[in-house]
Amino acid sequence: MARGVMLMSGGIDSPVALHYLLRQGHEVVGVHMDNRPFTDDSPLAKVVDHLAMLRERYAQPIPLYVLPHGPTQIALMRNTDRHVGCVLCRRFMWRSAERIAEREGASFLATGEALGQVASQTLSNMRNATASVRLPIVRPLIGFDKQEIEAVAKSIGTYEISTRPGLCCQAVPDRPATRTHLVQILQEEERVDVERIIDDCVRQATIL
Amino acid sequence: MYRALRICSNRGAYEALPEPPRPIDLARARGRLERQGIAVVDARVMLIAALEVEVTISQNGRLLFKTRDPAAAERVLDQLRGLLELDGPPVESPNARPPAPSRTAKGGNQSGG
Repeated sequence: MARGVMLMSGGIDSPVALHYLLRQGHEVVGVHMDNRPFTDDSPLAKVVDHLAMLRERYAQPIPLYVLPHGPTQIALMRNTDRHVGCVLCRRFMWRSAERIAEREGASFLATGEALGQVASQTLSNMRNATASVRLPIVRPLIGFDKQEIEAVAKSIGTYEISTRPGLCCQAVPDRPATRTHLVQILQEEERVDVERIIDDCVRQATIL
Repeated sequence: MYRALRICSNRGAYEALPEPPRPIDLARARGRLERQGIAVVDARVMLIAALEVEVTISQNGRLLFKTRDPAAAERVLDQLRGLLELDGPPVESPNARPPAPSRTAKGGNQSGG
C-alpha cells in the first residue's frame, strides 16, 4: 500500500474519498488549506472532526497539516484575472500539498473531486490545475454523483459534520471559467511570485 | 438602501444587499474605515474589515457578516451605515477600481455564466 496526501476541505466529499483510501489500506496525511479571511473557522473545525472520526474507524493516526491559504488568495485577487481564479487557487493548493508530500515521503496526492459537480471541476480545469504538480493525483470519487457520495457520508458518519453551518469561500468569482487554457493560466501566474508564495505558505504550516 | 439581513444558504453568515443595487467605492470605504482605526484587508474586489464581527464588503454593495448572531450583524450594519454612508444618494465613483486585469480574450469559453 502507498502513502499519500489528501486535500481536506471540510465538505461532504473529501472525508468520503479519504474513507475509500483508508479502506484500501493506504497511509494518508491530510492537508487543509485554511482559507481565512475568505471563510470562517468552520471548515477547519469540520476537517478536525472528520479526521477524528476516521482515525477512530481505521485506527490510523492521519496527521493533519493546516496551511494558510488566505494570503495566496489575496495575491491572486489583487493581481490576476478573476475569471480563472478557481483554477489558479487550486494550482497553489496542489503545489503546497506536493511540498508536504515531499516532506512526508508520500507518492501520490488525493482529492474528493467528482467530475462536473461545481464549475471548477470540469475536465479542462482539473487538467490545468494539476499541471502544476508532478505526483499522480488520485480521485476516488471521480465518477460518483452527489447522491452516492452523500449516502456513503451518512453511512460513515461524516455527513452531519460536513453539513453543519459554515461559510462558503468568498473568493470564488461570480462567473468562474469552466473551460480554461493552460497558456492563459500560465500567463496569469506570471503576475505573481509563485515560489515565494508557496514557500511562505508551507513555512507557516501547522500540524494537528 | 439596505433593508434587511438574510442568512446565507450555508447558515454560516448574514448578508445584506442594497435595494436598488448600489456599488461601493472600495478605495474610499477603505480610507474611511482605516481612519477609524479599523483593520482592513484589501483584496481589490472586496474589503474584509474587522469590526465587532468580520465583514466582507464587495464592490457590488453586498455586505457579508461572519456571524450566526443576527443581532450582532444588525449592529455592525448600523455602524457601517454611518461610516460608509450606505443609505446616501447614489454616488458616481471617480475612484472606482479598474476591472480585473486580463490579458485574455473574453471569448465564450471563458465563463460558465
